[in-house]
Amino acid sequence: MSTVPSTPVPDRQLVERMAGGEDRALGDLYDRYGKTVYALALAIVREPADAEEIVVDAFGQAWRQAGSFDPARGSVGAWLATIARSRALDLLRARGRRARAYERAAHFSDDGMATPVASSGPDPGRRVERGEARQLVARALAALPEAQRIAIELAYFEGLSQSEIAERLAEPLGTIKTRMRAGMEKLRGQLTPLLEGAS
Amino acid sequence: MTDHEWRDYAAPYALGALVPEERSAFESHLAGCADCRAEVRSFSEVAGLLAHAAPAAEPPQALRDRVLAEARRVRPIGVGRRGSNRAWLAAAAAIVLAIGAAVYAWRLSTRVGALETQLARTMMEKAAADSLLADLTGPQVHVVSLASTDREPSARVFWNHTTRRFIVLAFDLPPAQAGRTYQLWAIAAGKPPMSMGLFNTDSRGRAALRLPVDQAIVSLGFIDNCGLTEEPAGGSPQPTETPRLLGAWRHTD
Repeated sequence: MSTVPSTPVPDRQLVERMAGGEDRALGDLYDRYGKTVYALALAIVREPADAEEIVVDAFGQAWRQAGSFDPARGSVGAWLATIARSRALDLLRARGRRARAYERAAHFSDDGMATPVASSGPDPGRRVERGEARQLVARALAALPEAQRIAIELAYFEGLSQSEIAERLAEPLGTIKTRMRAGMEKLRGQLTPLLEGAS
Repeated sequence: MTDHEWRDYAAPYALGALVPEERSAFESHLAGCADCRAEVRSFSEVAGLLAHAAPAAEPPQALRDRVLAEARRVRPIGVGRRGSNRAWLAAAAAIVLAIGAAVYAWRLSTRVGALETQLARTMMEKAAADSLLADLTGPQVHVVSLASTDREPSARVFWNHTTRRFIVLAFDLPPAQAGRTYQLWAIAAGKPPMSMGLFNTDSRGRAALRLPVDQAIVSLGFIDNCGLTEEPAGGSPQPTETPRLLGAWRHTD
């Protein structure tokens, strides 16, 4: 066993070590992303037991497929979020809870999103980064025109297609497409610091 | 559609908000457009960051142990695998010569009914072998190595997107028990496994065959894994056991 290095190991290296069968690396990856992945899963499925199941499945998939992770296609964080979100949305669909979930969508901006992360945990450096990411993302979303933000949130957290969003909001499809695109462009501009820092 | 219009698909694609037809069309375009792939990558990172917009929540302490316990049940795919594609292709060629011709002779039989000489037969066998090898080596071929958790890979599946065929090669895989069959599954994240087809190995534990790619599998979008189970004859709608072999899809290049 080695001592904890002062410079954090890049995410990518953790994934490489996972591909080599080193489960300690999976533990490290969990320590970095477990909370975010859990929060994402919970935001989508809303049932803690389901969210836990999704976290186990998502990290299990990451473990099994670590060897095929391709850094050229994106960061480790985005990879994990994609896996977890996809599983969570699938569960949501399977249980036909879209309608209920939709009604909760409005809560995101009001309570959760702007809330800074609580400051407790074993890894202060990481936690600050995560807290900063949360704040930046919350700020970037809050800066969007509400209609753009809602279009993006419905797609991301409820798994709705542009057509379904148009139907839900009784807006023309073209309008939804424009809002989503414009909103994502703005988010990309606002989140540049985090995107450049992606490993 | 101009390239500029395609670029507008990148953001909704990254959010998973395209309808299936749009998604398929855009994915076809993506295959040949580096600019759009870069846009998708960039917006996918933005989408990944949206995970931080979820209300803060503290997972239970025990969840970490569950994640690790689950991982210890399965080895990561590829661990201990060192075989190259080249070696596999050579092995495939050998099997093709032995089995491939017999497998495909019947498909060609109507067209080659007049060919009765040994020469013609030889040419036919060569054509079948060439054709199968072409399927294995084309530019649009994805491959998955299926490994069990305690031995070297014993099956490989190629997906030729051009001819829309799976090519299945298996080695050292004992034939399924009487009244049962092997079944391959396409496994996409968060979706139920979808059957890719049935096959069995010969008494030497080998198989080489082609299976048509069902449109439903194409519609799954990105497929993460391929799994192999043993099922009752005729196959099952969903796997009835944990995959004996499992592998992740990747490009051959």
